Amino acid sequence: MISAAVGSAQEGDSTTTYKKRVLENTEVDFLASYYTQEGDNAAVSGGVGTEHLTNVTPTVVVSIPLNADDVLTIDGEVSAYTSASSSNINPFDGGQPADPFVASSGASSSDTWTNLTGTYSHSSDDRNDIWSAKLAVSTEFDYFSLGFGGSYTKLFNEKNTEVSVNANVYLDNWKTIYPYELRPFENGRNGLSDGLFRRYNITGNQNYNPDFVGLDKTNRNSYSVGLGFSQILSERLQGSLALDVVQQQGLLSTPFQRVYFKDVEDSFIQNFQLADDIERLPDTRFKIAAGGRLNYYINETFVVRTYYRYYTDDWGIRSNTASIEVPIKIAQKFTLYPSYRYYDQTAADYFAPYEEHLSTEEFYTSDYDLSEFNANQYGFGVTYTDIFTQFHLWQFGLKSIDLKYHYYERNTGLKANIIAAGFKFILD
Amino acid sequence: MIKRILFCCLIAGYFSSCTAVKEYEKVKINDPDMVLSTKGVDRFETNFQAYREAAAGANGGKTGGGCGCN
Repeated sequence: MISAAVGSAQEGDSTTTYKKRVLENTEVDFLASYYTQEGDNAAVSGGVGTEHLTNVTPTVVVSIPLNADDVLTIDGEVSAYTSASSSNINPFDGGQPADPFVASSGASSSDTWTNLTGTYSHSSDDRNDIWSAKLAVSTEFDYFSLGFGGSYTKLFNEKNTEVSVNANVYLDNWKTIYPYELRPFENGRNGLSDGLFRRYNITGNQNYNPDFVGLDKTNRNSYSVGLGFSQILSERLQGSLALDVVQQQGLLSTPFQRVYFKDVEDSFIQNFQLADDIERLPDTRFKIAAGGRLNYYINETFVVRTYYRYYTDDWGIRSNTASIEVPIKIAQKFTLYPSYRYYDQTAADYFAPYEEHLSTEEFYTSDYDLSEFNANQYGFGVTYTDIFTQFHLWQFGLKSIDLKYHYYERNTGLKANIIAAGFKFILD
Repeated sequence: MIKRILFCCLIAGYFSSCTAVKEYEKVKINDPDMVLSTKGVDRFETNFQAYREAAAGANGGKTGGGCGCN
């Protein structure tokens, strides 16, 4: 497919007057990351329990110049994860007593998310107008997402100024999976007669009888519109502004995340508290994010890259994000990337910690991703760049290698590490 | 929020009124580290932040799609 596309592009070039191609050669990016996190506020077990999670994400991105003006980009990503909290959707299928701080070993302990995105872009002859269209499909065991969108970018003022508009739609669908102990109570099923409760003794409140009603929606639709503006301010300084407006509708809660009420007596099997309900959240959410970047070229060694974003939504969350990265060229081919990022957010109106919600509330969640917190992130990276692509793998020359590491820490106790690597090759 | 957006528009208007930098003067602006987008390898960082934090958008990352529920 790649060679066919390149061949076609070469034929096209021979019959047209010369103009610089938008993309000279086919580029292939091999990317991968390893992510791990630890915490004690798992949403699956109502705000208490292990959040241990690991995730490996191999990715390939191929950009193919179809002719001088058009580029097709295919992006394929696989994300394989193991999650201790997800494993406790059914905490009773492990080889040890059920416990929110111990991972179970059943089917929900791991999953694979797969994504394929195709983007087609077209540039005008003077390169001042760029159109693009995108189609994305992603799937995992309990989730399917179909996305499509497009963008238009206009450059003017001798390419010093750029404005853009983009729109995207995601049509997602859940396969609803509920906490294991709630399933016998869904819409008046067999309740305490279920095999689970014959197999294990209930301690605490032995009259466990949650009034559990299953969810009636399984779709989640997201509609977004984005505006962008960038400007070269001097020979050393340029900046950009971005505004994203997002409307979401449908099932916006996660079906397997438990909630424990303080006005309901606690029931246990082994060390695991049985759910009072799943989290319930409104079926609409309106989000606005506005951000800006400012990059300054100090000298041949140092560049400063800064970013700020303000975010708000109608669930009551307001957030600030600020980051700085200072690329340092230590040699012709090597650049270092120290970075720091600060983030804070207020809690969603519907969030309360473990055992603090009342059963009379309409909406409730104990997902700490929706709690009030601040986070600090420290990063370091190194890039190797060879503009002459001297090292070859088959017909592809190695252009660059990127390695990055980030350490992330919330004041709620969550800690995460992520290592990412990227290898960019260019077809000769 | 509307005041903030108007403020951003004012800044944008101010920026665009600057004298244009000619193509031959863009050596420093064209430095790879001066790009206003993020690198491909940064996508993983942006993704995990979108999953672990309530805020998303205005950073070139995804604004919807996927549950991010683990």
